[in-house]
Amino acid sequence: MADIAGDEGDFTVKVVTHPRYVDTSKCIACGACTPKCPAKVSNDYNEGLDKRKAIYVRYAQAVPLKYGIDPAKCIKLTKGKCGNCEKQCPTGAVNYEDTETTRDIQVGSVIISAGFKPFDPSAYVQYSYSKYKNVVTALEMERILAASGPWMGHLVRPSDEKEPKKIAWLQCVGSRDVNTCDHPYCSSVCCMYAIKEAAIAKEHSHSGLDAAIFFMDMRTFGKDFEKYYEKAKTSGVRFIRSRIHTITEQPDKSLMIEYATEDGQAKTEVFDMVVLSHGLEVAKSSIELANKLGIELKSTQFVKTTSFAPVSSNRPGVYVCGALAGPKDIPLSVVEASAAACAAAGKLSSARGTLAQTKEVPQAVDVRGEVPKVGVFVCSCGINIASMVDVKAVVDYAKTLPFVEFVENNLFSCSQDTQDKMAQTIKEKGLNRVVVAACTPRTHEPLFQETLQAAGLNKYLFDMANIRNQDSWVHAAEPEKATEKAKDLVRMAVAKVALLQPLNEVKLSVNPAAMVIGGGVAGMNAALELAGQGFTTHLVERDAQLGGNARLLRITAQGEEVQPYLDGLAKKVMDNPLITTHLATSLKDVEGFVGNFKTTLAGPAGETVVEHGGAIIAIGGQEYQPSEYMYGQDPRVMTHLQIDAAMMNGELDAKKVNSAVFIQCVGSREPERPYCSKVCCTHSVESALHLKEHNPDCQVVIIYRDMRTFAERELLYKEARAKGVLFVRYDVNQKPVVKKDGDKLTVTVRDHILGRDLLIDADLVGLASAIVSHKNTELAQMFKVPLDEDGWFLEAHQKLRPVDFATDGVFMAGLAHYPKPLEEAVAQALAAVSRAVTVLSSAEMSLSGTVAFIDQRKCVGCGVCWTVCPYQAITQDDKGLAVVNEALCKGCGTCVASCRSGAPNLRGFTTQDVMAQIEAML
Amino acid sequence: MSENAEFSPRIAAFLCNWCSYGAADLAGVSRLQYPPNIQVIRIPCTGRMSPKFILAAFRKGVDGVWVSG
Amino acid sequence: MFARRRFAVLKNLLEYVGIEPGRLHFSWISSAEAEKFQKTVAAVTEDVKALGPAQHMIKDIRKVA
Repeated sequence: MADIAGDEGDFTVKVVTHPRYVDTSKCIACGACTPKCPAKVSNDYNEGLDKRKAIYVRYAQAVPLKYGIDPAKCIKLTKGKCGNCEKQCPTGAVNYEDTETTRDIQVGSVIISAGFKPFDPSAYVQYSYSKYKNVVTALEMERILAASGPWMGHLVRPSDEKEPKKIAWLQCVGSRDVNTCDHPYCSSVCCMYAIKEAAIAKEHSHSGLDAAIFFMDMRTFGKDFEKYYEKAKTSGVRFIRSRIHTITEQPDKSLMIEYATEDGQAKTEVFDMVVLSHGLEVAKSSIELANKLGIELKSTQFVKTTSFAPVSSNRPGVYVCGALAGPKDIPLSVVEASAAACAAAGKLSSARGTLAQTKEVPQAVDVRGEVPKVGVFVCSCGINIASMVDVKAVVDYAKTLPFVEFVENNLFSCSQDTQDKMAQTIKEKGLNRVVVAACTPRTHEPLFQETLQAAGLNKYLFDMANIRNQDSWVHAAEPEKATEKAKDLVRMAVAKVALLQPLNEVKLSVNPAAMVIGGGVAGMNAALELAGQGFTTHLVERDAQLGGNARLLRITAQGEEVQPYLDGLAKKVMDNPLITTHLATSLKDVEGFVGNFKTTLAGPAGETVVEHGGAIIAIGGQEYQPSEYMYGQDPRVMTHLQIDAAMMNGELDAKKVNSAVFIQCVGSREPERPYCSKVCCTHSVESALHLKEHNPDCQVVIIYRDMRTFAERELLYKEARAKGVLFVRYDVNQKPVVKKDGDKLTVTVRDHILGRDLLIDADLVGLASAIVSHKNTELAQMFKVPLDEDGWFLEAHQKLRPVDFATDGVFMAGLAHYPKPLEEAVAQALAAVSRAVTVLSSAEMSLSGTVAFIDQRKCVGCGVCWTVCPYQAITQDDKGLAVVNEALCKGCGTCVASCRSGAPNLRGFTTQDVMAQIEAML
Repeated sequence: MSENAEFSPRIAAFLCNWCSYGAADLAGVSRLQYPPNIQVIRIPCTGRMSPKFILAAFRKGVDGVWVSG
Repeated sequence: MFARRRFAVLKNLLEYVGIEPGRLHFSWISSAEAEKFQKTVAAVTEDVKALGPAQHMIKDIRKVA
């Protein structure tokens, strides 16, 4: 993108397409060009650890899978000689005359997600990165551990390609460091990825790798991160609290690390390899782009957003998401992506669908009565399958199976060009059943089913043989047995697919109304966005007023005052004609399913039934009520929310506090609550700064386990230290003790640096109390969605579907998912709306064809099936026999297994289908 | 040495699509290695599991049956 | 729920026709529990291996389905 002209709602975006020198419409990705290319260049995809050619595909799963020429390295383009690739190309796709093209695109909103650049440590002498071969960056380590990396996932070090026995990870390289690189912020993600790399490296090691992570604070603040950290400790990863100052190479290319322990002892240790956990920074090109577009940046160079509009830049109509707006991990980036989509679409909702084109699906050929003609496509998945399973043997074997008409091996069956070819083959060979032996149907069945549809086949005439996830990947040491198992799986799939019949999908109307449960910041934002996009919304709040936990919050991490915002938000909600607010109301019952829920609400005016097409659960969390540190026994011991409230209503005068102690991790990171509450470190620092601001002489001590002021919150931590706030670390086995001596309140803590106990008199003891879930199992059961062990709602996929449930039409936002700061709750609310709108905006939706049906000739009306059906999908007709409501049926098959007379059957999983697989098993 | 040491059993595994089948996929992603003796049949839910499938598998000659929801 | 009840009965039946209880295993594993899956596969395989090849059913019962 070169420039944006115009204003919100009417932008003209100038887009420059760089020359590729390969015509993508002609390139068939046969790869004939690459071997003949004489230019060997450093492979940037593998972080320069190996070589590629000047004509290349960046990585094997690239979409589209088309080649391109690196103009800086191509001998023809730089020196005018060579031209080998043009000679090799069977389709004439190579075009050395290709030029840059520029075009204008008219849009109403723009989302910028330019991402980050990994910090480059090569210029910094203390890391010795440019000097020593076995000092690598974490991204290089990712490539070393990757199956598609330079050594196919074998754990080796670069100098001699031998397996290292000891590896050290050094944290905070290019983060939390103003002395060398001017990056005062924490990069948020490095602690977790270092633990992950250490864990994976240990798995890949043949000799029990010794992995050590050198860190300052271990910042595992995300959902389930703390458990991952604990697991790594148990598996033997060593965690050493120290910042490294010197690395020296040994004659055998190993590396000696010099460091100081917490109590000041100098130590040395030799490692075979050192990994630099480098941080995130904004690329220079992104900064230039932002300046050109008039987008404001923060001092850290990340795009400036507010806590209340976390995906909006200062330029109206231009939105941001991902690491461009601050260092963050994948789940939050995905949340922000959906949130930005919501914000960008919100103001354009009146134009929704006006430019959409309907995909033409050819009328399916009727194959009933035809003899099965099965096509089997065996995928190599690059080397993921082919390196363990003898793919050719599987292909040859498949050819011998009954009804098999055509068998083929593909490098990547899922690539777009293979898909096109597959559809072509189905048509040409007249195939009427298809088996793909590849990865798992749980991720790829929909893709291949689309290919069947494109070829004019009903999508249910398909099955997959899972020869990757459940074969090659898990039997790596036994390639022969893995090959035999692959044959077995293909045989079973062919036996089943030959019996399959085309199925119809029921179309259902969608009620374009939404319900939001919870009237806190997340719930109110969700309701407003839904209404803003034109959907009738019911906001249900248990309390008598809106606001939730935020009612007790003073400021955000960016220093914005929460109460004025909250008042404005509540007013907007109450004033919005599309939002019906149900206060002092809770849910009593939920019937129905995606598109058509029927929810019974119990409120002050009795029970009402509300019909809606989707729901967002935003019921929040609550503050843990401590039983420790004299809480409740002395009014000077207060939790965060109490301190905030007291500061706001004047009960606590910051000017009069002369000594304050904050104790972190009260109720968090404990055996009964093995998670980090994410916000408390920052909260204590904010309160400490507030006290210091009003009384600079106030002694403020924060007693912590790890300071988790992640991302740009680190700047607050830095500021607090500069202003004289003292930070004392405690060990979980040696917790601080709060005592009352006469009228005096004292806190005793073991100082690890001094090696002795500190005794502090305190006017105020702030407890960084955990955030706990409501553990609302009733609500979870009503919507048929899961909770995790700690009572948080469990998303469909922690990384890729962070606000979805496995149950369609139900989404989540805010603290109900996990403790999080306000801006993340807002982002999640927007994301949940974006996801909900995908359901609400369609007038009708198709349901799965795998539903039960009743052979009424066999039914005796005994009633077992409608008793056992967990979805109340079976009823009695006027003849007293069973009938299935296909809209309610989820295809579980319980009715089939329970019927004594064999009247029900499950389409796609009929008794005959399963029996065929059993018959083909041996 | 008993003959069992050489014996490699065949086990029919009926796995629920949403639970154990997912766990099996994840085991693959995590590269957790296990013996290749199981033959997986994917079922939509353990509710679908008829006793006759188990009997049929034994009749077919498998040495064991594992049903996992 | 129903599945669980159903299989309790089936195990008795199988024992009656000569299938050792150790040949039939049930477990409940969530989609996130890859390690439990791995361990269960190993345990089931070991149990069945210890019993040796199945002798019954193959000829004894012709028609059950």
